Amino acid sequence: MHFGHAAWMRQQGKWRELMVVSFKRLAKRLACATALAGLAMTTMAAAADIKIGIVAPMTGQLASEGQDMENAVKMAIDAVNAKGGVNGDKIITTTADDACDPQQAVTAGSKLVSEGVTAIVGGYCSGAVLPTLKIYGDAGIPFVIIGANSTKLVAANQGNAFLANSTGDMQATTAVELFKKNGYKKIAVVDEGDAYSSDLAKLTAEAFKSAGGEIAAKETTTAGEQDYSAVVTKIKSSGADAVFWTAYHAGGALLTKQLRQAGFQGGIVLGDGNNSPEYLEIAGSAGEGVYLLSPPTVDLLSGAADFKAKYKETYGRDAGAYAALSHDVGDLIVDAITRAKSADQKAIIEALKASDFKGLAGEIKFTDKNTLQTSNFRPVIAKGGKWVAE
Amino acid sequence: MTLDLLIQQLVNGLIVGSFYALIALGYSMVFGVIKLLNFAHGDIYMNGAFVGLIVFSFVGIWVGNGWLGVVCALLVSMLAVGLLGVIIERFAYRPMRNAPRLSILITALGASMVLNGTALALTGGRHYAFNTDLGFAGVDISTVHITYTQMVLVAASIALMAGMQAFVSRTMYGKAMRAVSIDMGASRLMGIDVDRVIALTFFMGSALAAGGGVMAGAYYGSVHFFMGFIMGLKAFTAAVIGGIGSVPGAMLGGLLLGLLEAFGSSLPFVGSEWRDVFVFGTLILFLVFKPTGLLGRSVVERV
Repeated sequence: MHFGHAAWMRQQGKWRELMVVSFKRLAKRLACATALAGLAMTTMAAAADIKIGIVAPMTGQLASEGQDMENAVKMAIDAVNAKGGVNGDKIITTTADDACDPQQAVTAGSKLVSEGVTAIVGGYCSGAVLPTLKIYGDAGIPFVIIGANSTKLVAANQGNAFLANSTGDMQATTAVELFKKNGYKKIAVVDEGDAYSSDLAKLTAEAFKSAGGEIAAKETTTAGEQDYSAVVTKIKSSGADAVFWTAYHAGGALLTKQLRQAGFQGGIVLGDGNNSPEYLEIAGSAGEGVYLLSPPTVDLLSGAADFKAKYKETYGRDAGAYAALSHDVGDLIVDAITRAKSADQKAIIEALKASDFKGLAGEIKFTDKNTLQTSNFRPVIAKGGKWVAE
Repeated sequence: MTLDLLIQQLVNGLIVGSFYALIALGYSMVFGVIKLLNFAHGDIYMNGAFVGLIVFSFVGIWVGNGWLGVVCALLVSMLAVGLLGVIIERFAYRPMRNAPRLSILITALGASMVLNGTALALTGGRHYAFNTDLGFAGVDISTVHITYTQMVLVAASIALMAGMQAFVSRTMYGKAMRAVSIDMGASRLMGIDVDRVIALTFFMGSALAAGGGVMAGAYYGSVHFFMGFIMGLKAFTAAVIGGIGSVPGAMLGGLLLGLLEAFGSSLPFVGSEWRDVFVFGTLILFLVFKPTGLLGRSVVERV
């Protein structure tokens, strides 16, 4: 998701430069803020509630996703409180709005730090999460990232942040597994020439080659172009068993349609940027039987039916794509605090590192880089105009 | 390259080329008459596709999603967007007609942004599905599959262009258009209503672009606010290759550009990512070495 927005990717470079300048000033201000917060904490220690910060886009285009994240985390925490809390303490939450905007994310992050939260969960857009990693890292606050999954986050992590969603490159692993399972031997990889889709194309091609597969063609299209016939012809004549499209849904739908129109019979596999109802609408009947590598969205998880029903009952709306994973992360942080046997942030970080957690969306175990050990992408298939689990 | 591949790329080139030619024609006509590079032309094409989609969804209730619906959408969209072209000319370009060349060029950029921004605001950047029942049935020549839709599409754009050529070369209005393009002042002295001729040119150019937009929308099955951008650039390139200001030149340029793209991306050792390098490289070569294009006349500076 977080990455489904091509426009964001283009802006990201700009934002990052801006951020570096304002960081130094901010770091100073923050140091004061944390010192003050520390004072406040010691005077109020008697209250003994554990405070968990939720950071998510509560306004802007992705407000609905942010609302889902907040709801699902709260749902997990309310359940824990109903059972008497963790280590005898109640947990309270506080939400900060990052609006999926790097600058507002910095403000939201500082707010959470100054409120003296024990741990933070959330983060939907990689661009908004990136500048906050330093803030939380300097403050030593354990941070579990729910949606955002850029590999840039891994590089900027100071050791306190954990990625509960698979990074983009793990999609390549899932893709190769799918190719092998379906018996595809020659694959055509098509991207749109931007950083995200060409990286995924490259990673998948390398992984497939080292797994003994053959890359029949590697093509690039221009974003915004409508006619893919030249590329389609090349794919067809390359003798590929299947096509892997790594870019976004608009181009994906056009490519699918034109491949089928030209009589291509092989498999079509799409990267996670195509996880949109618009894809199915535009591709129409040509989209039937196409595979999508999907993040663990709630509709496609077999064990999430109870959760879905309870969510709807509690909040009067359907659980969004990332609700299940958000709920898992709420449980995960409680699990870590329980194992740490205290609200000490260093102990919680150590406990998170040792996580061995099984949630609705799958297993959460971290590598030494604090990313998921196993990819949580899963192939789903288009049937009757809907994505369904295989 | 095998024969099959050759035929397939030839077909691909012809189809995309006929879209380029339709759009390039409007570019060329407007340039011919008032010497303006109408940058809003690509956005007119996009608007045509959207109007077509709206009409198509409406009439679809009664006539279904087949050919009849597409033809209705095509006609209504050409008429409506043709009028939009006239309105743009009246309010954006006419007041600038005697201003320096650069001012009107910037006005054209502004008009393009207004159209594009309005479409973005109204659609929220969504890609809309333009789903027809036209299907993928067609004829097979060994491994090459040509759908009936593709044949109709090429035939329709050739018919539109031929009609336009006949209009410009055979009718009184066409004659007036040519006269205005040669010398606006003298035409006015000869009793030609210059404003009306220019409005007519905009109407026809915009209607052609709208026709292209509806056909592209129905053929590719998707409509988007940004679809006119690349199309506008490519059509401009086609117009320059053919000779900007010349009607047959625009058609020739469009078809050549389509073929250049199709074959350019299937050259050995060269990936499809190089396609646009060929296209815009050709544009630069033409601008440097033969700015009048293949069929354009060299314009003599009048003193």
